[in-house]
This record gives sequence, C-alpha cells and structure tokens, in this order.
Amino acid sequence: MASVRSNKNIELMTYSEVTDVSGYVGSFKVSVKQKPRYVDITKCTGCGTCQEKCPMKTDNAFDAGLGKRKAIYTPFPQAVPNVPVIDPAVCTFFLKGKCRACEKFCEAKAIDFNQKEKIAELEVGNIIITTGFDSFDPSVMVQFGYGQYDNVITGVQFERMSNASGPTDGKIMLKDGSPPQSVAILHCIGSRDKNYHQYCSRVCCMYSLKFAHLLREKVPEATVYQLYIDMRCAGSGYEEFYERIQEEGVNFIRGKAGEITDMAEAPEEQGKLMVIVEDTLVRRKRRLPVDMVVLSTALEPRADAESVAKTFSLSRKADGFFLEKHPKLDPVATTTDGVFIAGCCQGPKDIPDTVAQASAAAARVLSMISKGSVQIESATAVVDEELCSGCRICNDLCSYNAITFDEEKKVSHINEALCKGCGTCVAACPSGAITGRHFTTEQIMSEIEGVLV
Amino acid sequence: MSFEPKIVGILCNWCSYAGADLAGTSRKKYAPNVRIVRVMCSGRVEPGFILKAFQKGADGVLVCG
Repeated sequence: MASVRSNKNIELMTYSEVTDVSGYVGSFKVSVKQKPRYVDITKCTGCGTCQEKCPMKTDNAFDAGLGKRKAIYTPFPQAVPNVPVIDPAVCTFFLKGKCRACEKFCEAKAIDFNQKEKIAELEVGNIIITTGFDSFDPSVMVQFGYGQYDNVITGVQFERMSNASGPTDGKIMLKDGSPPQSVAILHCIGSRDKNYHQYCSRVCCMYSLKFAHLLREKVPEATVYQLYIDMRCAGSGYEEFYERIQEEGVNFIRGKAGEITDMAEAPEEQGKLMVIVEDTLVRRKRRLPVDMVVLSTALEPRADAESVAKTFSLSRKADGFFLEKHPKLDPVATTTDGVFIAGCCQGPKDIPDTVAQASAAAARVLSMISKGSVQIESATAVVDEELCSGCRICNDLCSYNAITFDEEKKVSHINEALCKGCGTCVAACPSGAITGRHFTTEQIMSEIEGVLV
Repeated sequence: MSFEPKIVGILCNWCSYAGADLAGTSRKKYAPNVRIVRVMCSGRVEPGFILKAFQKGADGVLVCG
C-alpha cells in the first residue's frame, strides 16, 4: 500500500466511496464521496500524540472487539496514509461541543474540525472492483454460544490475539488472562451448511491449521483439537503443511460439533467448555473438555454488495458474490464492459488466488490502455439513415440509452459502445430501418424454418 | 401413435438460453419437442417470427425472456 501511495501514476483515495458511475468502457464518469477525516492529511506527521491525549475510547473494530481505540485513531499500525481520523460518533467535541484536546496538543496544527464531505468527479477508462468479503457472524448459531461464553472466539479474534502488535501483544490467553490448557478449533462455521452458506469458504482449513501451529508454538503444553468435516488442503505446499501439523501432535477429529456448553456432567468437566461432537471415524459421541473454542467462520459477501452491484451494474450469483462473465473462460471480467472484479468479492479464495486474479485484472486493463482502442461486441444494432423516418419510437425503448436523435438529419443514431445488441429497437422499428447485426430478420426466419424441417 | 408436438422456443441469450445451456452442461434432459432459436433479448421477437413458425408447421411457440 505504501508503494501504491508513493507511485506518481496512482492517485490513492482512502476514506472514500463511489456513489455513482455512468458512461461506458473507455469513458466512465465516476463520482467519489470523500468523507471528512477532520485531520489535514498534508500537515499531519503521524506522530500519534493526538491518539495519546484523546480521552474517549471505544471498541476497536480492527481488533474484532478485543481491544480499544480512541475517538481519534489510525485504523491499524500499517495504515496508509499514516494519518488518524476522528470518529464523530464517539468524539466529545462532536457530541457535546467541548474538548478539542487533539487540536491543543497537535504541533503540526493538522486538526481541522471544519472539514466537509467532498465529491470528486473522475473520468476513467476501466474499473476494477476488489471490495472483498465479510466474516460470518456466528452468534446466529446459538448452539456454539458465541457471545454467551467468554472463551468462544472467532478466527479473526484469534488472529488478532496472536499478532505481536495486537491487543494482547501476541499472547494467546483466556478472558481471565491465563493461558488455555486445551483449545478446540471448529471448521466450517456457516460454510458447507445449508442453513447458512452452502459453499465451501476455501481458506478456513488452512488458517485453522495455522492456528493449531501457532498454539503448539506459543502454548506448547495445550491440547489442540481440530474438528473438521473434510480437510481441503488443495494448493501448492498445503498438503505438506497439513502433514506437518499432524506430526506436531494436533488431534484431528472428523465431525462437526453439535453443541458447546458449560454444563458439567462429571467433576472433571467443571469450569470447562464442553464440545459435543460425533467422531464419525470411530462412530462415537464425544465430549471434549476445553478452555477455548475458535470458530473458523465462513467468508460471505459484503453487507453492501447489493448497492455496489447496483452502482457498477454488476450481477450477483445465488450465493451473493459478484458474477463473473464466464466461470471458466472469463473469471475476471463482468457483464459490463470495462468493469473487472478480483478477489473475494467474486467468491471465497486464498491469497495466491487473489493475487493471480488481481494481476489478471490489471493486465486486462493494461492491454486495453496500451492498445488505445477498445474492441466492442459486433452484435449491435445499426440504423439505415435512408429508411429511418425519424419517428423516435426506438429512442425511448432502448434500455441502455444508446439511441440518440440527430436533430439535423432527423434520424436516430445508435452509439455502438453502449448498444448491447438486444434488438428491441430492431423489432419495434415500424420502417424496418434498424438491422440487428448477427440477428437479422432473415437470419432468424431461416433459423425458425431450419428447426422445423 | 401419441401426439408429439413441435414447439419453437425463442429464448433470450442471458436467461432462458443460458438456462437451456446449463441444463446441457449439467447433463439434464429435456424433451426434444422444443427446438431452440437464440435471440439476444426476448424484446427482439417480432410477431412475424411467431407467424412464420406456425406457417412452417409448429404446434406451439414458446417465447422466454
């Protein structure tokens, strides 16, 4: 990200949102809403004094609720640009009109409470959408007690806990601060489950193995269980990693947990979380006493996927992810020319696959730019100006606003870059002045005759 | 001999034709009585197409889109 920001050919717009897109490949007009961060990005040195002095605290979303942040905060340590933002929903000045502590202590005089929302208008030739995914909220699966039991956590929370710059300085600990003696990692929470998401989220097996590895390394005395449906370790070096974790002494149990409870049935179960699971390899119900449960939650489409799809004229698949032009032959393009997708917004995928798809999208755009011209579909409609009576019936019928009326010649004109070749105008033209290329009336008539032979 | 109708299906490229194509790639079977003509949109269909189909012996015309 830092090198993206320092590249002179890239304008990085953070804390911004695309609100409107019009035009077509090679000539899109994009409106970008730039939210006020109340900090002058050109003056701020990123010293962090404001964040020390700010008196207001709230949950840190980046730490998945494990840590706290101030009302003026940098989202995470490596954020680009390294400039804080003020959260008006928490800041005392915005709530009560008093405080301004950050302003007082800022030596660079970078705090600016008068910043307003700005709309930037951009002209671009191509668009790549990489809006990513959301993590499934497991609190709807009440049988796992997420939100009810303190030590049932999600994979994201475990990840933050194991991070050296995270809320626990990299220590794996229970809510009371002690290290866990036993941990169960539950796969497929919300994925491969017809009640939630039918698809496999693809990355959970591998990150669950990574968690097991981190636990063996950081808390070597802890017992680690992996509860899986199937291990899906397809990828370069993945199967080898799976074998390595098995050799590290992690217990693999084939079965999906049915319930997590703190109800003890025996004295040794007191104070433990009981994971109830059918071990399908030995055909036996088991009760595993553990201190911590990690839920490997599904990847799901972002909550705002519907509105993003509308803004960029994209379609979505049944599972909610953005639809590619062709699942095998064109997984990077979309049905809108000049709009490409990459990463988890198209479907769950791991980092190597995301990098490959993003590189492909960048290459597709570069090839368009270096050519200097765009190839458009040949199946478009064309008006025979000699026959056009200028009735304008077609003008309003076109769903893509591709037909304009030439006031001078008194004939209609079709913009081939906008025309999708649907042929509605062809069928509607009373003078027969419009031809649908590759779908002419003669061709379709012959086809009908052909199928009836 | 039972009656086997000949039906001309004029299908939209994006939905119903894609559906017929999906039936094929999923190895699902459908009756051979429907003979498919692809158009880019059901909006392309002119009354003349339907009359032509009946004139050439179709028992039914299915316009999908």
